[in-house]
Amino acid sequence: MSVRSGKLHRFAPWLFISPWLLGLLGLFAYPFVASLIWSFTEYDLLTAPRYVGTDNYQRVADEILRGEGFGKALWNTFYYAAVSVPLSTILAILLAVMLNWKVRGQAVFRTLFYLPSMVPMVASSILWLWLLDPRDGMVNGVLAMFYDVPPLWFQGMQEAFSLESPFQFGSKDGLTLMSLWGVGNFMLIYLAAIGDVDQSLYQAADLEGAGIWQKFRHITLPMLSPIIFFNIILGIIQSVQAFTQIYIVSEGTGQPAESSLLISLQLFLSAFRDLEMGYASAIAWVLFVILALATWGLFRTSRNWVHYRGVRM
Amino acid sequence: MTKRRFMSWRVALLITVSVLMMLPLVLMLLASVKPAEQLTSDPYSLLPIRIQLSNYQESLETIPYVKYLANSIVICVGSVVGTVISCSLVAYGFARMQWRGRNLMFAVMIGTMLLPWHVTMIPRFVLFSELGLYNHLAAIVLPTFLGDAFYIFLLRQFFLSIPEEISEAARLDGLSEFGIYWRMILPLSKPALVTVAMFQLVVSWNDFSSPLLYLSDQNKFPLAYGLEQFVSSYADQTHLLMAASVLFTLPMVLLFFVAQKSFTSGITVTGSK
Repeated sequence: MSVRSGKLHRFAPWLFISPWLLGLLGLFAYPFVASLIWSFTEYDLLTAPRYVGTDNYQRVADEILRGEGFGKALWNTFYYAAVSVPLSTILAILLAVMLNWKVRGQAVFRTLFYLPSMVPMVASSILWLWLLDPRDGMVNGVLAMFYDVPPLWFQGMQEAFSLESPFQFGSKDGLTLMSLWGVGNFMLIYLAAIGDVDQSLYQAADLEGAGIWQKFRHITLPMLSPIIFFNIILGIIQSVQAFTQIYIVSEGTGQPAESSLLISLQLFLSAFRDLEMGYASAIAWVLFVILALATWGLFRTSRNWVHYRGVRM
Repeated sequence: MTKRRFMSWRVALLITVSVLMMLPLVLMLLASVKPAEQLTSDPYSLLPIRIQLSNYQESLETIPYVKYLANSIVICVGSVVGTVISCSLVAYGFARMQWRGRNLMFAVMIGTMLLPWHVTMIPRFVLFSELGLYNHLAAIVLPTFLGDAFYIFLLRQFFLSIPEEISEAARLDGLSEFGIYWRMILPLSKPALVTVAMFQLVVSWNDFSSPLLYLSDQNKFPLAYGLEQFVSSYADQTHLLMAASVLFTLPMVLLFFVAQKSFTSGITVTGSK
């Protein structure tokens, strides 16, 4: 082999990964550094960024303490994740268990359960905006049969149901309902995981006379726990990134009463409506840190309930 | 006897859940053929008093559907081509070549997946604006030519499963590294490439935030963003909104039926680490 082709050989791998390297520099490294720097500035895109020290972070801290602006959006996101992630986890596992039943037409049921997840978010948001319309929506049409004051969903000041008024559903309940309808991807992941569970475990349990619930509780759930853990983290990330549905149901405002102003929308509005790039960058960084801490915390607790094939981690 | 009844409550439950899951879609479909006056005067009625297919024609005339569709197709085709080319090249470099620093670079790549888009959104916008990409479809398509960590990971896993002997034999036959990638590995990886292409197709078709961020000219809007423009101004024209939504959803449903297998396999790979 000539020297030239030997040299080429050494550079060849870098040529193969060069598209991603370019992306790493332009789409990650530069933005990463730039947003960190801008978070200490006042920047409106039109004039050069002006250094303001930790002003933006102080504003963020202040808003968290007072529950306004970023604080409000953080609370909304936390509330949405805390309700929708557990509910969709339970629903996805239940649906997956059902789809694993050996019945005729299993493939048809799988398709029907999954189909809503193929509906584009824009279309499903338009659909649910209509279904949950306080006056003309089908959902309130059904609810009106049971009680007199129908909920206002995306239109009312009531943000979510409460114990005092359990049927007065608000924006966040509507968003949760939408997330439950689109639970198909999680369901498929659980379905595959259930298929991987060693069947001899169930046979052994049968021999010992275990019932359906006992088999689910002591075999299926522990074997699924690594996947549940993975999906919970994925679900939290999805809640934090939720944008399209929130933008559409609130016409890009997060109103009324900032009830659907989740963190992504608040960041978008700060940056591109208010042109406060510095403040928005600070929000992004605080969010990044919170998300990293939450993930780390989950990993810590996971040792107590996640089983990795017999090895406790 | 008991066994038989046992089976049937399961089937009954499956049917009930299926009906509940499909109900919103069925209601959308029914609303799309109801006359406008029925939706306002008797909103809770289930079946159309008459089937009015002209809703579709009317919505195509009211919403510049064909123009939006053309933009969506440009974005989808461009993004799928970009994704498949760039991600397969990069995945090949990570899976089938030995080089110093490979594991480090791979770890960096996985690391980028953990960075929320919130952090990079604003500088990316500024960068693309300065490159003159604002209000161009290229602002949406171009990044797909720079690889995507998740797809690269997916393809790398697939490439790793191809026996090394195939590459060795090809090398003996005098094929260059690119030749091996192009003529041996890619043809063997069709299922994985189709999965990645399908995923990206769905992502691009559904993408709402990039056009919102980068496009200002109505003539360049893809369907996902174009439709949203009509939500507030046509809030009382449910029949038109639903007809347009059905037309927008239909390609995805068809795609699912055509490529069901590559979808489900791809999604479940996500779960198995």
